[in-house]
Amino acid sequence: MNKLLAALSLTTALTMTTSAAFAEVKIGAIFDLSGGLNIYGIQQDQALDLAVASINEAGGVNGEDIVVVGYDAQSELSKYTQFAQTAVLRDGISAMFAGLTSSSREALRPILREANIPYFYSSLYEGGACDRNTFVTGSSASQQLSILMKWAVENYGPRVYIMAPDYNFGTISGYWIHKYAEELGAEVVGEDYLPLSMTDYAPTIQKIQAAKPDVVVAIPVGSAQTGFLEQFAAAGLKEDIGLISTNYGSGNQQIVVSPQAGEGYMSVMNYFPSASGETNAKFLAAWEEAYGTDTPVVTGSVDVWNAVHLWAAAANQAGTTDTDEVIAALQSGISYEAPNGTVTLEPGSHHLRQNMYIARGNANNGFDIVETFTDTAPTFENEICNLVDNPDVVEHFTPEN
Amino acid sequence: MFEKLHKNAGLIFPALATIIALALSGTLNPYLAFVATSWVIFGLLGLSLDVIWGRGGLLSLAQTAFYGLGGYFGAVIAINLAPSSGMTLIWALPSAAVFGALIAVALGYVIFYSRMGELQSTILSYTFTLLLWSVTQTFKLDVGEARIGGDNGLSNIPGIILGFGSEAKKLGPNEAFATVVVVTAAVYFFTRWLMRSNFGKIVDCIRIDIEKTELLGYDIRKYQLLNFAYSGAVAGLSGALFALWANYLNPSIFSVQEALLVPIYVLVGGLGTLAGPFLGALIIGGLSFWLGGGAAGGQTTLILGTTLILLVMFLHNGFLGALDTLWKKFLADPNDAARSAGAVKIDTEVLDSILEEAAAQAGPAKNLSTDEAFKRFGGVIPVNKVSLDFASGRPYSLIGPNGAGKSSFLKTCVGIYRPEGGKILLDKDDITKTAIFERVHKGMGVKNQKPQVFGENTVMENLWIAAFARTRDTVQADKTATRILGMLGMEEQKSVQASALSHGQQQWLDIGMVLCLAPRVVLLDEPAAGMTNEETRELSLLVRTLAKHTTVVVVEHDMEFVRTLEGHVTVLHQGEFFAEGDIETLRANDAVLDIYLGRGEHV
Amino acid sequence: MELDFLATVLLSSLSSASILLIATLGLAVVYGLMGVINLAHGEFIMVGAYSALTATQIGLPFLLAIPFAVVTTMIIGAVVELLIIRKLYGRLFDTMLATWGLGMVFNQVAILLFGTVSPGIGMPQWSFKVGDYSLAVYPILMIFVAAVMLAFIYLLMTHTVYGMKARASIQQPQMAQAIGIDSSRVNTMTFAIGSGLAGLAGAILLPIIPATPSMGLFFAVKGFLTVVVAGPVTLTGSALAALGLGGGASVTASFMTSVVGDVFFFLVTAILLWLYPMGISAKWRRKL
Repeated sequence: MNKLLAALSLTTALTMTTSAAFAEVKIGAIFDLSGGLNIYGIQQDQALDLAVASINEAGGVNGEDIVVVGYDAQSELSKYTQFAQTAVLRDGISAMFAGLTSSSREALRPILREANIPYFYSSLYEGGACDRNTFVTGSSASQQLSILMKWAVENYGPRVYIMAPDYNFGTISGYWIHKYAEELGAEVVGEDYLPLSMTDYAPTIQKIQAAKPDVVVAIPVGSAQTGFLEQFAAAGLKEDIGLISTNYGSGNQQIVVSPQAGEGYMSVMNYFPSASGETNAKFLAAWEEAYGTDTPVVTGSVDVWNAVHLWAAAANQAGTTDTDEVIAALQSGISYEAPNGTVTLEPGSHHLRQNMYIARGNANNGFDIVETFTDTAPTFENEICNLVDNPDVVEHFTPEN
Repeated sequence: MFEKLHKNAGLIFPALATIIALALSGTLNPYLAFVATSWVIFGLLGLSLDVIWGRGGLLSLAQTAFYGLGGYFGAVIAINLAPSSGMTLIWALPSAAVFGALIAVALGYVIFYSRMGELQSTILSYTFTLLLWSVTQTFKLDVGEARIGGDNGLSNIPGIILGFGSEAKKLGPNEAFATVVVVTAAVYFFTRWLMRSNFGKIVDCIRIDIEKTELLGYDIRKYQLLNFAYSGAVAGLSGALFALWANYLNPSIFSVQEALLVPIYVLVGGLGTLAGPFLGALIIGGLSFWLGGGAAGGQTTLILGTTLILLVMFLHNGFLGALDTLWKKFLADPNDAARSAGAVKIDTEVLDSILEEAAAQAGPAKNLSTDEAFKRFGGVIPVNKVSLDFASGRPYSLIGPNGAGKSSFLKTCVGIYRPEGGKILLDKDDITKTAIFERVHKGMGVKNQKPQVFGENTVMENLWIAAFARTRDTVQADKTATRILGMLGMEEQKSVQASALSHGQQQWLDIGMVLCLAPRVVLLDEPAAGMTNEETRELSLLVRTLAKHTTVVVVEHDMEFVRTLEGHVTVLHQGEFFAEGDIETLRANDAVLDIYLGRGEHV
Repeated sequence: MELDFLATVLLSSLSSASILLIATLGLAVVYGLMGVINLAHGEFIMVGAYSALTATQIGLPFLLAIPFAVVTTMIIGAVVELLIIRKLYGRLFDTMLATWGLGMVFNQVAILLFGTVSPGIGMPQWSFKVGDYSLAVYPILMIFVAAVMLAFIYLLMTHTVYGMKARASIQQPQMAQAIGIDSSRVNTMTFAIGSGLAGLAGAILLPIIPATPSMGLFFAVKGFLTVVVAGPVTLTGSALAALGLGGGASVTASFMTSVVGDVFFFLVTAILLWLYPMGISAKWRRKL
């Protein structure tokens, strides 16, 4: 069996050595271009290409063009490790932009730390990642929930029900909801964590009714969210119970859901396409020119866009793409005029201080922004993680311990 | 020369491949070495399935469960021990293998000891994997330095470290590749040895005909369980290698996609070939790497799916299977000798001496008796309070019209059917609740209606496995099998596959296998079916000779055959005892004639 | 515990069991009559859902979109039987693997054709009250749909020429052949009907479960388990297994957590297989 392997290695070796490089800087990209997660992955990848094009147009990084080495992780975790190693071992990349799920980040993080390459993770997540080589441009659960919970308790009332997926994102979000509820004098009257294989929401809907909440924080993922929404709305519960989320609209769920079910569902996110501002208008124009208007821009795209621009700005500031100097530049309190307002990288936690928007699902499968919170800090991450003082920390902090 | 090469292909080619891989490992592109390492590991995982599916006959979809659990277990140990002691393999691999085996034993116990159907077993193994997938999403546990974090997985797993002490460094991709190749080769060659050992031969027999294997006196469930445990150990070990390779584990290792990828490796390469899964993993891994990384990205699943359909339909035995078929066309056909087989002639003197020797080894004949044996299936009662006694000296025949319950009675005696009431005794020994294989140990020899031979094995192998069941000694088994072979006059056909024999010859081979057991009670279910007149005469001679040394019970339709046996005859009717005596008396009995002809009040 | 809560739990658990049964029946018919496990069953459900969705998008009312989905999946099913399944008669595990490959192909083709996001059609916004509890009408309606489907298959098997032939072919294969029943034609029909039932499931459940390329997976997994636990008796067996497993899981989820409900499903499956290694209906005397 290894005979074939040898033959294969020869041919691949030949094809690989033909790509010579001059006056260019390579960055790696691994996103899910196929498989179940590709609603996010394709757009993340598109945003990366768009960002790279805009930077190259403006003169590149230190006068060199950025070249993207892209891989399709096929929504399979093992592909992430494989391609990350390939990018590190073969392609000689200067930075890595990759990943959607927390598990993909955790798979990649050790590889890029060992290779000492800056790694940008661009997706909303449960928070707590702390690693000198890792930079997070999405929002963390505490960042979103601190705002949302306050708004919800003020607007709906103090009785809160939690409905979340049964894995880290859900359980850690659950922790924050409990914590903020307590701080706000509200009460968690019930909670249900759904297994990922869930297709039946009837029991949950009964339990919600039995608990008589004022507001339900509903953050199931994927098709579970839409299935739940439809049934929640059809049972006629929307009139009496508020429905809020930190991930609704992050991946076009608002399009899958029928308007009557999606209308009135509140979401908090660091970007909505309807955000005001000239930068956003320009960004959207460039996006539409490149990719059309078929699908609205998801938050993850803007997170990737911001990540690439932050890295490029840091590399230009440092005058080199050398990792240690780029990280030093990134830790200098660097900021960028993003489609979602000014974003600033926190030197200690490697998370972004950025705008948060509370938006309401409307009848046209879109969102209306209700309130904007400028310059929101990733408080929890800033508290527990200071990579300027402790660069050797490698942790994925959870609030429970 | 080519015959020899063919026979040892499973040794020579993998050995060559190992040498080439090791020779190349130094000069390989590091990234290719890195990726190729995963293909070798997947091949090893495929091997674990081939052991239980290709050899054991159970399509287990739990291999990724053992793989993942082994990986987690090995990784936790590696994480905790690597900082102080370096060397990750020596701790992680054995513990992962043991853990995988233990889990496999737990699952296998449920599957084998409840005698689950094939499909049900497969689905249960699948359920097990899915259950793990579901549960591990939120499973959080800190074990020393290792943090198992639910869906976020287990990170910071050290790589493959060969040196000892805290200073030892992780191997680079090329050295890691070489190390994995060495470990894998060791497991492969050990597995090949194991599958060719007596254990492997028995496992093969279980796959081919599970009932017959138990009727030879093998504790089949024990062998199935052991084989499953071994397969779990290999899967666990490959999981630990994977963990050290990927430096990261996550519940997705238990996902549906992962579970179903393993049978593909095996099928592509060739089921039951042991080397096939490696070829399969290489082809699939290479294909998906090339497609996923290249321009056609995104269509991987489409191509994999189509490949799978085409493989199953047109290349059923995989690449190695197809290659083997092709190769065999250029070799002499060992089954040619089957056509030259003459009629069987029983030499009663040889038979007598064999039987005397058997008596010397296994003791005197045993009496078989039933006491009010009772068996029902819903409303049908095929065995209704039958009390009969059988002893040696002359053959006993059970006759009766269709549906009289003759075969059911026999099956109840053997233990294939569990009676609801009554007792079955072997001498004074109550064997009513004894397992089939234990009854065989106690001296019961059974030949069912259809000839039961292991079709894929040669005539000699068939006799040998039967002889080995009793003697548990390779040399003794060789001796016994050779003698029975001689008695059957099948020396010419010793290397012929049993499936190539004619129906009558298979009957004889089956009887020969029963004789290899040196049984003290012989139960024959319609042994004359499908035999020529000439063969029937020989059979009659054999049964009469046999009855002088052991207890013989024959169920038979053929009245003429029963007459030639000159023995005691019992008539069963509607599950009950009806009449007995010698055949002439019974022939004159009106009541017996009535039930046979379906007339009168007895019907 | 209040009575109204118990009543809603009962109703919605029945509805859960019915949804499972609707999604499983096609699989059960094919397994019961052909002995084949169609691992692409989930993808046939998905094809049904997308067919119905496409039909509504071109302007067909939902009620007409359902038969459209059934016909589409039946045709695809018949073609699949003629091209693939037929070649693999008597090779249970090969059939499983081939249909699994087929499922992968369907899945990827759906992604290519429809992308991973399609607008849903929404659930009819009808609800009714039981005491303090409000229930959506549409999921409860599925109890009725499941009953109609059961009755339909029963009549199909007992009162049509096809049904007689199909039953004859499984109960007395040689005899059936001897009296001139073309079993391969019966099988094509059976597989088409099984696929059509899957398509019906996908279409009728579309308001509850929106169409996504991977939607079939979890239905299919639970469906396989239900069918295998049910054993050889197609209708009664599956209905009982769906009621016990799906309904039981739903009741468990109502009183405990959803995770426990899911674990209940898998654990009870394992226990039932331990107690009834050939399925719960293996020793029954009835055949439907």
